[in-house]
Amino acid sequence: MAAPGFLEADGRNMSRATVLMLMAPFFALVIFAFLYPLANLLSISVLEPQPTLEHYQRVAENPVYARVLFRTLQIALLVSLLSLALSLPVAVLMASSRGPKAIFLTACILLPFWSSVLVRTAAWAILLQRNGIINQTLQFIGITDEPVRLLYTQGAVVVAMTHVLMPFMVLPIYGALRNIPADYSRAAAICGAGPLRTFWEVTLPLAMPGIIGGFILAFLTALGYFITPALLGSPQEMMIATLISQQMRENLDWPFAAALVGVLTLIVTVITLAFSKVFRFERMLGGRV
Amino acid sequence: MAQEALPQTNGASIDIRALEKRFGNVRAVDDVSLTIEAGEFVALLGPSGSGKSTVLMSIAGFERPTAGKIIIDGVDCTTLPPHKRNIGMVFQHYTLFPHLSVADNVAFPLKMRGVSRSERRRQAEAALETVRLAGYGDRMPKQLSGGQQQRVALARAIVYRPRVLLMDEPLSALDKNLREEMQLEIKRLHSELGLTVVFVTHDQGEALTMADRIAILKAGKLQQVSPARELYERPSNLFAAGFIGEMNMLPVEWDGQRARLVQGEEIVLPDQAAITPVTPGRAVLAVRPERLSYARAGTAGTWAATVRDVVYAGAGTLLITSLADGTEVRLRIPSAGQEPVSPGDAIGLTCPPEAMLLYPQEAA
Repeated sequence: MAAPGFLEADGRNMSRATVLMLMAPFFALVIFAFLYPLANLLSISVLEPQPTLEHYQRVAENPVYARVLFRTLQIALLVSLLSLALSLPVAVLMASSRGPKAIFLTACILLPFWSSVLVRTAAWAILLQRNGIINQTLQFIGITDEPVRLLYTQGAVVVAMTHVLMPFMVLPIYGALRNIPADYSRAAAICGAGPLRTFWEVTLPLAMPGIIGGFILAFLTALGYFITPALLGSPQEMMIATLISQQMRENLDWPFAAALVGVLTLIVTVITLAFSKVFRFERMLGGRV
Repeated sequence: MAQEALPQTNGASIDIRALEKRFGNVRAVDDVSLTIEAGEFVALLGPSGSGKSTVLMSIAGFERPTAGKIIIDGVDCTTLPPHKRNIGMVFQHYTLFPHLSVADNVAFPLKMRGVSRSERRRQAEAALETVRLAGYGDRMPKQLSGGQQQRVALARAIVYRPRVLLMDEPLSALDKNLREEMQLEIKRLHSELGLTVVFVTHDQGEALTMADRIAILKAGKLQQVSPARELYERPSNLFAAGFIGEMNMLPVEWDGQRARLVQGEEIVLPDQAAITPVTPGRAVLAVRPERLSYARAGTAGTWAATVRDVVYAGAGTLLITSLADGTEVRLRIPSAGQEPVSPGDAIGLTCPPEAMLLYPQEAA
């Protein structure tokens, strides 16, 4: 939301023309490649074959679609929570490291970005397949007698998506932690707080903008995630993105797919607004505490 | 700590013994020994990199000394973590927790000590009253001015009645007027609460006005520990002499009784001019600019000098002169009642014998 005087670039000595020029390429891209196609798609959902709400009615009436939506929300939430649980310790470690150790940790986090999501998803397929290393190990140590079905399950989707989305969570939390001046934990210590108490009472609350930011980023990305659920998920337990793709490409039912997109967009918007109401957005994006 | 027999508001003594802190090959603190009496106000003064902050951080427990001991009230605290030292500290940048209200900030140390909520509120409000911020408890730190924030930080540091209060350049972020007001405030708190204060600063004026004793550090080494007047009037070495206030330093040849200026005049010095014994040979004669005065050129007993610049500054005037060998000598004289001089004039400089100090020539 533009604050009053948005274009005045709040005292950073930039003319209005400079501000417009700096923003232009990005905004052109957003309008051309995002807003225009989205508007187009949404208009299809209510205008074809003639002005109608029947596609939305279909989404509402058939419980299958509600179940897909609910499952998608559930998985996205679970994936975000798991990512958070894994990311927080890593981010804390990164923020407290200096020198070669910090470089090594950062490389570990950024390494996955060097390979495509498809490769990482395929890697999980290899690990989880019937004769994969996990099944072999389980049989070797005698937990099962025959291969367990790991691939094409919700579990596979959750694990692989957590892996893919973790860096998105680590980086904002790390940024927030790095922004906290060391004097705050010193102040807490001299006030009598031990290391754990300091983390709980001071570090964690001050890192909250980064934690919330990372969480939303992971959650919203997970909501619309396609490749991983499509490749590793169970066809009986579809997620919304897979359903939309199926309606478009297999059933060629564009108006109905567009209606699903409309519903998903609405949910994402509501969640984003709800979050930004509770936590101010500018603080999430690395604003100074 | 066991039940205190003494009232808690009494300060604790601090004994720093042969403290040494090395970072790699750098000796940030080099064999510093300093005994601070209970209830004393000591300023650690020095240029940046002198090790004054490292000494303070060692007392607080944030730096583990490479060698030496920190003994607080007879208890060896050298390896005790900061949260167990029961010390109050005010940092340079206030460091109020931005997510907590003023009252919660002040109550934070009490919360860490398991004090009940209602008791915390009461004591925090009392501490805020002590720093003249009663009624500000519900505000957030951001809503306060810099001076007010530093007072809240002060309240937070004293609320649990620590016996030692450490301050790390607490006033350097404030503007001049506020700084002077806070100096008085801190002095008042010190005498009211009777706690031991160790105050780090690079501002000599601040150190001179506030501290009972001033410890001067240079390159990790303690140079002098003295009350303000002694430090100013009889600095123990050339560094201390040059670091505190302005000082004219004239190269002389010392024969044991007389100092001879490069341009020839001979000056008979009283015995107390040399603070440490000076062996005959090259030496330095140090004189404060405000102790010098001038007379007509050629007057007996004066040193010949030439006026280079006259800087009028209201009550006082700064006279920049030079000796024949080019040595600059500054005079700070009252503006009124002086015979006017202008650049280029030849004059004679005079100085009362008790204002002259003699130091051995130091290797640069």
